[in-house]
Amino acid sequence: MHNQKMEEERLTHSENRRATTLQRSREAAEPTIRFHAVTKQYRGGGGVDEITLDVYPGEVFGFLGPNGAGKSTTIRLVLDLIRPDHGEITVLGLDVRRQGIEVRRQIGYLPGELTLYEKLTPRALLTHLAHLRTGVESSHFESLAEEFSLDLDRPIKDLSKGNRQKVGLIQALMGDPKVLILDEPTSGLDPLVQQSVHGQIRRACTEGRTVFLSSHVLSEVGQIADRVGLIREGRIIAIDDVTNLRRHSAHLIEAETDGEINLDHLRELPGVSEVSVAGRTLTFKAAGPLTPVMSMLASVDLLDLVVREQTLEELFLAFYAQDHAPS
Amino acid sequence: MRPRRRQRIVLRSTFERSLFEERRALVAWTLGLFTYAFVMTAIFPTIRDNPALKTIHSAYPEVLRSLFAIGDMTTGVGYLRVEVFSTVSPLLLIIFGALWGGDLTAGEEDRGTIDLLLANPLSRQRVVLEKWASLVTGLVVASLGLGLGALVGIVVFDLGVSVSALTAATVAVCLIGVLFGSLALAIGASTGARGLARGVTTVLAVAAYLLSTLPDLVDWLRPFRPLSPWYHALGTDPLASGFHLWHLGGVAVATVAVLGAAIVGFNRRDLGT
Repeated sequence: MHNQKMEEERLTHSENRRATTLQRSREAAEPTIRFHAVTKQYRGGGGVDEITLDVYPGEVFGFLGPNGAGKSTTIRLVLDLIRPDHGEITVLGLDVRRQGIEVRRQIGYLPGELTLYEKLTPRALLTHLAHLRTGVESSHFESLAEEFSLDLDRPIKDLSKGNRQKVGLIQALMGDPKVLILDEPTSGLDPLVQQSVHGQIRRACTEGRTVFLSSHVLSEVGQIADRVGLIREGRIIAIDDVTNLRRHSAHLIEAETDGEINLDHLRELPGVSEVSVAGRTLTFKAAGPLTPVMSMLASVDLLDLVVREQTLEELFLAFYAQDHAPS
Repeated sequence: MRPRRRQRIVLRSTFERSLFEERRALVAWTLGLFTYAFVMTAIFPTIRDNPALKTIHSAYPEVLRSLFAIGDMTTGVGYLRVEVFSTVSPLLLIIFGALWGGDLTAGEEDRGTIDLLLANPLSRQRVVLEKWASLVTGLVVASLGLGLGALVGIVVFDLGVSVSALTAATVAVCLIGVLFGSLALAIGASTGARGLARGVTTVLAVAAYLLSTLPDLVDWLRPFRPLSPWYHALGTDPLASGFHLWHLGGVAVATVAVLGAAIVGFNRRDLGT
């Protein structure tokens, strides 16, 4: 318990340091990816509306939102696969419409709905893509395949979803592009490979490269990203540092008790809020260390206990409802 | 476990990949056209030696004669024209071209591989050009199959058709296949709809065929005949009269125009949505 706490503190410390470094680099550097008032509406509905967003060198930007919120639309606009109705997108100072070829030379892209050339093996596919990009050595994708434990010589049509995803990730990562754009990178992967992918993403940003990733898996974005943007129905509703959000993170606790708990006493504990009672069920929110709360609960007959971490989205919404309410 | 054999395939470009993916169909079509042309020439001796067939064509109603180019089948040229070059082989090459051309970009959009392709530092124009080049290469190979099958038959069964006449007819058939294959590419690239590309191309090919042949019967259609690329490629009877460069040039110009439309159409679209 003690060790764990120290570990947490150490992590928080290094996170804070990293956040400060990134803060400085944001102030100093030109953004790697810049969206300026980008709108793309589809005839049948959907799309994105007035997206304005900067992503900086060396940062992992997590783009978070439910399916259909406009994450893939935003990403495909950067690749010039679709064109905005208005607004401007630049990557490393280059316009994605007018200088698309130069832009894409700097980007490794994992499509959200990944489809591969079924008739090839991963080796033949990656060799082919390496030729289209020029300057990518086959040894690079071979070592990535080893890390992700992917068989390069088994026909793609026989591969599972997870193995296909590995092929998609390898083609995005190979050649160490300056900008990584990953649409739902770890979907379909087992936890071990997920860790490898996270490792690759971290390596990329420590090398000063930029990672823009989308996910609807909230915990993942929280784990890997430096900053998070929340998108809903085509609009970015919040952008903030993950460490900043973490500070406000809380546990949601639901306890069924047989005895009486002194509610006033509970409310006075540091970090406890939103206490409510319905019959024998007590629910409240606890931010910060849980020990005082737990020892209080241990003093009565506890029939059932559910402790759930607040999701990033709840955190976002709570945080913004409270601190950034329009004044 | 036995180590799996490594697939040592190196595809350096979209052009190479496109040909690679179509290789089985291409081999099948080429062999099929070779066999078709050869088998048709093999039947020729029995036709030639049948005196009744010398005049039977005049017994057909005129509408059938002009529609299916039925003529004197007892000469090698007349026979090959009717049985191989006037209708069947151009239609086969058009079908091959339309199936492939319609799939070139629209198929990648439909299957969802377009993201993987266009995320690379390539222009859309280049992708269309490389894919078109693979289509042309494929159609040239298939036409060579047809021409070679006919050539072997001409020699073996003594049809008395010159190599230059055969070449002229084969080139004409190939050009008409390339034109309609390019049209299917253009429609697919401009709409993303593979079925539409194939369907519209087939309808237009049939229309071009009718517009080339029907004016013999329908006077008022005659002024419109020059609009038919089929007429410029095959209406000049290349097997009997050789190359007609102006007419073939017209088909080539139309092809380039269609290719230009494919590039423009592909360039301005939202892909794979």
